[in-house]
Amino acid sequence: MAVAARNKKSARRRQLEAAINYPIDWLEERSGLVGGIKYFIFRKVPGDTNWFHTLGSATLTAFLVQALTGAILAMYYKPDPQSAYQSIQHITNDITLGWLVRGMHKWGASVFIILMFFHMARVFLFGAYKYPRELNWIIGVMLLAIGMLEGFTGYLLPWDQTAYWATVVGINLNGTAPFLGPFLADFLRGGAEIGGETISRFYAMHMLLIPGLIFALIGLHLYLVIRLGVTSPPWSSAAAGSEAAGEEPRTNGRSGLTQPAARSGWRRNGGEG
Amino acid sequence: MASTDDWRRQFTKYKEDVKERGKPFYPYAMFHDTVMSLVVVSVIIGVTCVWYFTSGEDPSSCGSGHSCLLGPRYSDPADPATTNFVPRPDWYFYFLFYLLRIFKWPDSVILGTVGIPTIALIIAFMLPFFDRRMERRLTRRPVAVIGAILVVLSMGVLTYKGATAHEALASEVVGAVPTWAQREGFAGNAEAIAGAKIFASSGCTACHTYLGTGSSNQGAPDLSAEGSKGRDKQFFTSYIRDPSKFGNNVMPKFGFSDQQLGQLAAFLLASKGPK
Repeated sequence: MAVAARNKKSARRRQLEAAINYPIDWLEERSGLVGGIKYFIFRKVPGDTNWFHTLGSATLTAFLVQALTGAILAMYYKPDPQSAYQSIQHITNDITLGWLVRGMHKWGASVFIILMFFHMARVFLFGAYKYPRELNWIIGVMLLAIGMLEGFTGYLLPWDQTAYWATVVGINLNGTAPFLGPFLADFLRGGAEIGGETISRFYAMHMLLIPGLIFALIGLHLYLVIRLGVTSPPWSSAAAGSEAAGEEPRTNGRSGLTQPAARSGWRRNGGEG
Repeated sequence: MASTDDWRRQFTKYKEDVKERGKPFYPYAMFHDTVMSLVVVSVIIGVTCVWYFTSGEDPSSCGSGHSCLLGPRYSDPADPATTNFVPRPDWYFYFLFYLLRIFKWPDSVILGTVGIPTIALIIAFMLPFFDRRMERRLTRRPVAVIGAILVVLSMGVLTYKGATAHEALASEVVGAVPTWAQREGFAGNAEAIAGAKIFASSGCTACHTYLGTGSSNQGAPDLSAEGSKGRDKQFFTSYIRDPSKFGNNVMPKFGFSDQQLGQLAAFLLASKGPK
C-alpha cells in the first residue's frame, strides 16, 4: 500500500519534472542558450578571485542603472529649446518619484565614470592587460572614452545655464583640433549657433548612438572576459598560471569557448532532461 | 620581454590551474558581484536623496534656507543672451578644464585641448604593447607603479584645481573699475569706463585677466595691455562680435549690442598697460 503510494507520487513527480524540463529542452535544442548560460554561471574562476574583481560588474550595474533610468526619463523629456527646461522641472517636481529617477541618472553618471576608472586601475595594477587580454584592455579604454562622451552629450540636455555654457565652450574646444576640428564643431552644433538642432543632435547621440555602441562594446568585453578568464591577484601564492616557465605545454589546440566542456549542452552537463 | 611561446605556455597553465583549483563562478564570485552591485545602487540612491532633500525647488534658493550639499536641482534656464555665466563642465572634465588654464590662447592652447588628451589616449590604448614583460607583481614593476602614481597625482591635482578654481564674481569685479581707470590712465574717457563696466559685469573675467583680476581659463589672454598692440577700435569691435571670424573658436559669440561693442572696444583701446 505504502509502496504503491510512493510510486504514484514519484510518477507525478516525474510528470512534473518533464513538464518543467520540456520548455528548457526545447530552447536548448533550438538555440544552445541553456548550455551557454549554464557554462557562464558554473564556469570555474581562479580560486583567489576577490573583491577587487567585482569592480567590472559594479561598473556594468551602474551602466544598467543609467540605461533603465534613461529610458524612463526619455518618456517625459522633450528635446527642444522651448520645452526642455520645463520638462526637466516637470520630471523633478511633479512626476511621482521623478526626482529619484532623474537624480539617479544624474549621479549614476558620476558613479559610472568613477567605477570605470577604479576598474581600469585594478586591471592595470593586476597586470591583467597582458597576453592574451590586450584586446580587452583596448575595448575598455574605448568604453572609457565613449563613456565620457556620453557624459558630455548628456550634460546639455537639461538646457539650463550650466548645461548651455559648458557645451558652448566644449564645442568650441573641439573646434580647435587641427583639420577636423571646425567640421566636428559644426557637426555637433548642427549650425552656427547652439539651439534646437544641437539639442536634438545631442539627444540622438546620447540616447541611441553612444549607448548602442557602449552596449555592443560591453558585450564584446564580457565575451572576452568569459573566454579568457580573470587574472589572479599578482600577490597570490596560488595564482593561476604562475611558475609556468619550464613546463611542457599541454594543449590540444583548443581554448576557451571552443573547448568541448564549454560547448557541452544541457544534458552533457548533468541535466536530467 | 617574454616570447610568444612563453606567454602561450603560461596561459595554458592558467587554464589548467583554473580547471583544477578554481572555484565555480556561482555561488562564490557571483555572491561578491551581487553584494557590490547592491552597494553601487544604494550609493546612487543615497547620493540622489541627499541632493534632492537638501536643495530647494528654486535654483536661486541655494544658500537661503537650503544647504544644497550637492548643488541645486537645476540652474536658471539656458539664456544665450546672458554673458555673465561662468562655463563649468561636469567634474570629470575638470582636469581638462584646468589644463586649459596652463596653456594660453592662441599659441599653445591646442596642446591642452587636443595634444595632451590625444597623447594620453594613445598611450592608454598602446599600454599592452609597451609593457610586454610577464611580471605582474607590483614590487617588480617599478615603472608601472611610478607611472600609475604620477597619473593619479596629476589627474587628482588637475581635478582639484579645476574644482576649486576661483571664479571672480561680477559684482566684485565691477568695484575694481575705478582702480583700473586710474592705473591705466583712462579715467577721463567715459566710453572706456562704460566698456570697463560691461567687461567687469559680463563675465569676461571668467576667462580673461585684467590687472590681476579674473581667472585665466580656456587659454584666454591677459588684456591689461591689449590697446598697446597697434590694433584699432574697428578690429576690437568686429573681433568681439564674432571671434570665430578671426580663427578663435574657443571664445563664444556674446549677444552684445553695437553700442556695447563700441564701449568695449574703447575700453580695450584705452588699456595701454598699467602706468
